[in-house]
Amino acid sequence: MTELPLEQLIDALAGDARAVRPLAPPPRRAMTLLAGIALLGGLAVYALSDVQQLLARYTGREVALVIEMAAMLATGVLAVTGAFFVSIPGRSKRWLAAPVPPFLLWLLLSGVGCYGDLVRSGPAGWELGESLHCLSFIIATSVILAVPLVWRLSRAKPVDPLPVATLGGLGAAALSAFLLQFFHPFTVTFIDLAVHFAAILLVVGVVSLLGRRTLAAA
Amino acid sequence: MSKPISDKQAFRLHVAYAEDGLANDSGIAGQERWGDLLAAAQQGDADAYRAFLRSVVPFARAVARRRSGSDGLVEDIVQDALLTVHRVRHTYQPGRPVKPWLAAIVARRSIDALRKVGRVSRQEVNNPVAYETYADPQANREDVADTARSLSRMTEGLSTGQKEALDLVKLKEMSLAEASAASGQSIASLKVNIHRAMKKLRMNLAKDRPE
Repeated sequence: MTELPLEQLIDALAGDARAVRPLAPPPRRAMTLLAGIALLGGLAVYALSDVQQLLARYTGREVALVIEMAAMLATGVLAVTGAFFVSIPGRSKRWLAAPVPPFLLWLLLSGVGCYGDLVRSGPAGWELGESLHCLSFIIATSVILAVPLVWRLSRAKPVDPLPVATLGGLGAAALSAFLLQFFHPFTVTFIDLAVHFAAILLVVGVVSLLGRRTLAAA
Repeated sequence: MSKPISDKQAFRLHVAYAEDGLANDSGIAGQERWGDLLAAAQQGDADAYRAFLRSVVPFARAVARRRSGSDGLVEDIVQDALLTVHRVRHTYQPGRPVKPWLAAIVARRSIDALRKVGRVSRQEVNNPVAYETYADPQANREDVADTARSLSRMTEGLSTGQKEALDLVKLKEMSLAEASAASGQSIASLKVNIHRAMKKLRMNLAKDRPE
């Protein structure tokens, strides 16, 4: 390294001190995006899904349905909100752990649900259901959600983009899995459940890698 | 959830800064002053921005020293951190404490610097003897001429800007900020020129190799 012109650097940076608009607080930015997603998702569910079939599938287990879907939604909302927080330097890294409890609850309830179906249906509970449909749905919906999410996150030009992209990927995948419930008119087998989580891991992995590059270049 | 650092971490940082002679600057009044200066800088006030950057340098040095554990890296880390501060100054929310924001930026740049050092030490070998075949420099004249011809062939097709960027950053080992100040090229142009120059060099090197 040559002689360090720190003063020169400071002068150069001060010379480029054009006005910038401070970003809105992370919760507000997250809520704006989530409100948009809720509006579009709500319209899609209202226009295209069959909620009666969903309720029929969970007859006698309505409480489990509500808790499972709340856990999915909480995972998505906390992951997206956390991504906006950790994109800002100095904000708490605890947001990285925020989606973990609802994610574990979701995993547990899905597993218990599948086990119940297995007991009721016997070997049919191991069959491959409509896994390909689920895989395509989660991936396609995650892409639709991840594009505006990464674009909004890139406004912060994160200094450490990997955790931001990973949380964003988890948020997009969890919200996609939540929406999938409304378009999933059949019982989830263990294999289907495994495919769901494989799709989520795939989305998180891809968004982490591509999102990291996009955010690093922002 | 939005609490930036725990009380225990804050105490440790305070002790660390006190050891580095920065206890006065790390007080609440200092933070408020920095916050005011940075908020004014966000409005385009160049003098406030200059004052802010100057006043945070000791703090940035202390964090860089503590995070990197190496005095030799501190100045590079501080320069990178100031460039990052410039790039992300819109992420500071007026009214919030400046220190956690700034410390996170410097800590990140310290990690990047340590990774870079690790990469370089894995890929490069320091062997001064390998540069000469004979102790007498005159005995290496033919090799020197060959090397010069080879270098000239390899740099064929590079634009003046690319050659200049390569010379300043890769050969003279200037930081991007220093090279930018020396050449008048923006940091973005330097990055592009270096990337393109390296790509051309690789292609020329491949052509130069015997089949």
